Amino acid sequence: MKATIFDIERNSYVDGPGIRTTVFFKGCNLRCAWCHNPESQSGFSQMLFYKDKCTGCGKCKEKCPNNLESCELCGRCALYCPHDAREICGREYTVDEVMREILKDQSYYETSGGGVTFSGGECMLQIDFLEEILKECKSHGIHTAVDTAGHVPFEYFEKIIPYTDLFLYDVKSLDNEKHKEYTGATNELILANLEMLLKSGKAVWVRIPIIPNVNDTEEEMKKIKSFLCSYGYPPKVELLPYHAMGEHKYAALGKKAHAFSVPGKEKISRLRKLFE
Amino acid sequence: MTERIRMLTELTLRGEMYVKPVKTEFDRADLFLPREQMESKRLCEYILNQEPKLTPHSLMTGFFNFDGSVVGDAFRRGGHKATQEAFKLFYLKPIDNLSTMEWQHATADYTKVLNKGIRGIIYDIEESLTCHNEPEQVEFLLALKRVANALIEWAHKCSERALTLSLTTQNEEYRNNLKKLSEALLRVPENAPETFYEAVLCIYVCFSADPDSVGTLDRYLYPFYKKDIGNGTLTKDEAAEYLQELFLMLQAATPISTDRFTRGGESHFCIGGYLPSGEDGFNELSRLIVESMIELPTYIPQLTLRWTKKTPREVFRFMLDCERKDPHKRIAFQNDEKRIKCYTEICDIPFEKAVSYTTVGCNEPAFLGAITGSNSKINFLRSMETVFHKKSKLIENNASFDDFFDIFKKELFSDLKRAYEYDNFYNKQRAQDINYISSLVFNDCIENAKSLTQGGGNTAIASPTCLGITNVIDSLCVVKQFVFDEKLFTMNELIAALKSDWQGYEDMRTLILKKGKFFGNDDDTSNYVAQKLYRELYDFLKDKTNLYGYHWLIGDLVGYNIHHKWFGEHTKATPDGRFSGDMLKFGIGQSEGRDREGLSALLNSIAKLDPSGIGCGSTVTNITLDEQLIKNDDNFEKTVDLLLTYFQNGGVHFQLTYVSKEDLICAQKTPDDYKHLRVRVSGFSDYFVKLNDAIQDDIIARTTQSR
Ligand code: SF4
Ligand code: SF4
Repeated sequence: MKATIFDIERNSYVDGPGIRTTVFFKGCNLRCAWCHNPESQSGFSQMLFYKDKCTGCGKCKEKCPNNLESCELCGRCALYCPHDAREICGREYTVDEVMREILKDQSYYETSGGGVTFSGGECMLQIDFLEEILKECKSHGIHTAVDTAGHVPFEYFEKIIPYTDLFLYDVKSLDNEKHKEYTGATNELILANLEMLLKSGKAVWVRIPIIPNVNDTEEEMKKIKSFLCSYGYPPKVELLPYHAMGEHKYAALGKKAHAFSVPGKEKISRLRKLFE
Repeated sequence: MTERIRMLTELTLRGEMYVKPVKTEFDRADLFLPREQMESKRLCEYILNQEPKLTPHSLMTGFFNFDGSVVGDAFRRGGHKATQEAFKLFYLKPIDNLSTMEWQHATADYTKVLNKGIRGIIYDIEESLTCHNEPEQVEFLLALKRVANALIEWAHKCSERALTLSLTTQNEEYRNNLKKLSEALLRVPENAPETFYEAVLCIYVCFSADPDSVGTLDRYLYPFYKKDIGNGTLTKDEAAEYLQELFLMLQAATPISTDRFTRGGESHFCIGGYLPSGEDGFNELSRLIVESMIELPTYIPQLTLRWTKKTPREVFRFMLDCERKDPHKRIAFQNDEKRIKCYTEICDIPFEKAVSYTTVGCNEPAFLGAITGSNSKINFLRSMETVFHKKSKLIENNASFDDFFDIFKKELFSDLKRAYEYDNFYNKQRAQDINYISSLVFNDCIENAKSLTQGGGNTAIASPTCLGITNVIDSLCVVKQFVFDEKLFTMNELIAALKSDWQGYEDMRTLILKKGKFFGNDDDTSNYVAQKLYRELYDFLKDKTNLYGYHWLIGDLVGYNIHHKWFGEHTKATPDGRFSGDMLKFGIGQSEGRDREGLSALLNSIAKLDPSGIGCGSTVTNITLDEQLIKNDDNFEKTVDLLLTYFQNGGVHFQLTYVSKEDLICAQKTPDDYKHLRVRVSGFSDYFVKLNDAIQDDIIARTTQSR
């Protein structure tokens, strides 16, 4: 069994408790306008071309079997580009391959109370692989977290709940219109799944991206808070302020990034207070 | 900090506490005396002619410096004529692009003077005189006795000066201090001290005999501390004040006119670590030592925590917390598990002795009362150059990586053998000098009737340091991966590329730099190669010692000098993508941007590298971190765990620098704006903008790990 993965990041401090390895699955069924990982959206391998790094030396053309006229993603151009202007993003991994990477840092997980986080993209879209690797992690006693936007059938959750210690669950907006406008999908399924997940008593950390002029109001945060509170206990809530660090990747994919401003520190701390 | 210490600190940082040597005239007729008599006579006259540094704020005095006119201490080697001569020829001057001479660090055994006073040491000399009858041994011992007596007399002179000053001191508290000092100097270091104050004063005075490291301070002072605190004659604040005055002396001992004044490597010692009982030695005094040291805005001394499996996480965290709060970056970390294993198993040193080690200078290990037996620098990459540029015929047709490795290995070992012979040669040069004052406070010199400079000490390790180890590992990886495993180019192509310094082979070099499985990424190829190399080094060195019987080990620190640049300038292109003339890498922790998998991968590669511990010589691991990983409190807790795991997994050492690469580049461009930026260099810390360009470039090239 294989999954398309575009990065395995070791020693991550930001995707759950302790020191973690985060596995980024390729492919997503939302199209959030603020996405900072646009290369994660397509479920297939892709070529990234960083125009500003390219000196026009022609090495890529020299090495390309197709003279750069068509691309079979063989990777030779990227391999020989002396300026790192080309990159193949994403490839298929077996469960064993990924496990080998995960196991390398097991001692760090143990000391720090960390583990592995499956993220993306939407890792739940490759649910069979996900289920398999979660089982494998649990058999090694590794703490597991799944980072999801939740726009999948609840049966998917049911499959992996037994092997998942923690869900990192993205909530963008309770305003359905806005949700549709900015992510390409309505929020009903997402909220219904979250409701069931919270009711199941599973550990959930809710993550809210703070996007200026989309959801950066106290009113919106209060709505999300009261939604969460109506299901028993207030889970840990993390606010993730928008940053523009993904912009160059849009360009490298030949896409245009949606321009948002970066929210101010003060605003973020004010919004954070609402959840304390 | 008390007002008194604040005043002393100010004077110290202005360079005013430096004890200026007093020029001394000698009677030329003494040249007719036998050598030992003449040298010790002059030494005594010199000592007694010195003037102690005293201010109305002083509660301690008695340290003095040498001026080169007599045979001084072994560390600064003033008056050590043969050593100076050898330095002129080999210091900073590589022979055969293979080896250069460096100075040796050591730490006196302060327990001798704390247990029995100089009187007791004199008894030891007298006893030794009854066991030795070779004329030079007798002369040597008699010379030691003369010098020991001079030290006692010197303390009495200091006592008198303190008393005199007290008479004109108006402030009652300060007057009483000086009286207390004067009285104490009549008792110590002549006799064994009875109080914590007297014990610290003993070290203060005796530091003149070897102004290098104060050794395992938290260990030998602890009985005095416990006793005085227990019977109510000492408060914690007073103890801190005494320690601070001692530390200020360590700072003041280095003249402000040299760049060493701001470098931590001048005086370095350890706290914590295993006790002879097998328990962890970090105690309440250790904590007080760290706290009182970092309260001082000074550069010297620097200290290292010796971590053991029994060290509580809280202690490790406390030390890292002090480290991150210390703008002068004086704290580093050492793993006892690895070092003690090496010293007991490889060097055959008894556990009780092994646990007395402290790191001196940049990071040279020395046992209490012993020297670091050797400290020359070796160009480790030279052998790789030889194989590809001079003996390429031998490798053209290698059938496997192992065949290649064996040929390389032969070359490496022949280089090492030669470098170790050079090292013996440097020691022999040094052995022409007889040292009188340091030999008094080191172990075994009295019993063996032999000068420290002649191998008078029984137990030590010899650790010349090897530069370019990472270049060698990476070069081996390239050969294994590209030539033998993936067969992306042939050995002949690689040989041709190196001989032409990569000209016409730019693609090959690009491929190597991009796809090379370099050390630090925790992948199978580089881990395999690195571990194989260390296993071979272990087999080669496991029963080899230097001319004094001190066991050879491997180290990798560079020290204050840019040996890696000099060696590199004359080393041709190597398979790791290095151009001819590029400098070598030093320290296994920095792969200079080639570690792409994050910090845990780098730390794993290092921790797994050397299970035998043959690399436990003068070894440093510099880790450059994004400051967010340490300054942000949530991240800090994770970083504590990260580094703790690294030690649990077998890492030997680490020291931290945290800045962004952008900061460093800006600092290089506009040094005036970054005058205060301090970084870890190689076992010591310094102001970034004061370092020479080559070292600055090196530091920038080290990866700044943001995850
Ligand atoms: S090889 Fe790289 S730098 Fe050269 S033209 Fe191609 S993309 Fe641009
Ligand atoms: S990936 Fe291969 S086929 Fe595609 S452009 Fe690069 S060299 Fe050509």
